[in-house]
Amino acid sequence: MVNKLRIGAMTRARGKWACGLLALLLTGGMAQAQDLSLKDARLSLLPGDMPGAGYFSLHNDSPENVTLVGAQSDAFKNTEIHMSMEKDGMASMHAVPEIDIAAGERFEFAPKGYHLMFMHRVAPLEVGDDIEVVLRFADGQQLPAIFEVVSPAAMH
Amino acid sequence: MLKWLSPIFLSVLLAGCEDPNWHTSDISDIMPELDLSLMNENGQQVEEDAYIGKTTLLYFGYTHCPDVCPTSLARMTAAIKKLDEPARDDIQVLFVSVDPERDTPARLRQYTDVFGPQFIGLTGSTAQLDALTNRYRVSYGYGEKDENGNYDVSHSSGIFVFNEQGDARLLMRNSDPIPSMVSDLQRLMERG
Ligand SMILES: [Cu+2]
Repeated sequence: MVNKLRIGAMTRARGKWACGLLALLLTGGMAQAQDLSLKDARLSLLPGDMPGAGYFSLHNDSPENVTLVGAQSDAFKNTEIHMSMEKDGMASMHAVPEIDIAAGERFEFAPKGYHLMFMHRVAPLEVGDDIEVVLRFADGQQLPAIFEVVSPAAMH
Repeated sequence: MLKWLSPIFLSVLLAGCEDPNWHTSDISDIMPELDLSLMNENGQQVEEDAYIGKTTLLYFGYTHCPDVCPTSLARMTAAIKKLDEPARDDIQVLFVSVDPERDTPARLRQYTDVFGPQFIGLTGSTAQLDALTNRYRVSYGYGEKDENGNYDVSHSSGIFVFNEQGDARLLMRNSDPIPSMVSDLQRLMERG
């Protein structure tokens, strides 16, 4: 969106000055939505009320460090940030209150590591659906993202 | 030049074909044969004789595990899909839930259906589960319940593999790549 507008403005020969101002306004005003993004967001769905897992790559392209503190989806009663661990042949998992992502860094939620744990489903869901999940950050920012519902049999 | 190279090339090729070792861990001498007494997905008590005659993979987990268990089972699904079609009927996966409080037979059936026809859910009383986990020298444990009654369960992460006679043969770990699992399963199914 920003890029398209900027190119559109640039192609006009007149008013280089106005174009520069427009670009400045756009990058300033839209920085928040652009700076944090989720790539490859998937929700691995189990049947019934068995909990699902959320995986994605969170990119922080902003100049500020951010702290992820939670997530929420209307399709589940509660959603927690979890981490799986494997030690001496034993697997376990526990809730993680927050995750820091430094400026310019990315953070992976991937199988057998960090995952969103979606508990107590309250809406019907099927493999192939898209659902919205909102990630919450310590500074009050909210990042809505679309997660593709996938079969756990495809996650390995 | 070619003549000079070929003996070396040939020996490299032969070494690749021979492959005297398993890719995953050989447990033939350290683990006992399959022996279990549990409840199946239909709520019936079963013993190991119900599972003799096929190559068997044994995994401990629980259905409220959204990450590690499904990922491990999905690796087994992927490995099984790499086998020749007739061989896929000669292999089974026993998913033993160590969380009998939440994992009813009906729930286990619903869960194992996601991963394929080879997957069979089992669970049992604490005494039955302890007997089986002690036999294969693994353990499990429960975390504290939260305000919603949810709790985490720790469980072993390896896959025990038995030949069709029920002899313990291999231990496959999460760090073993899927092609290693496939190649070892093929070899085990050919040679026993
Ligand atoms: Cu979890």
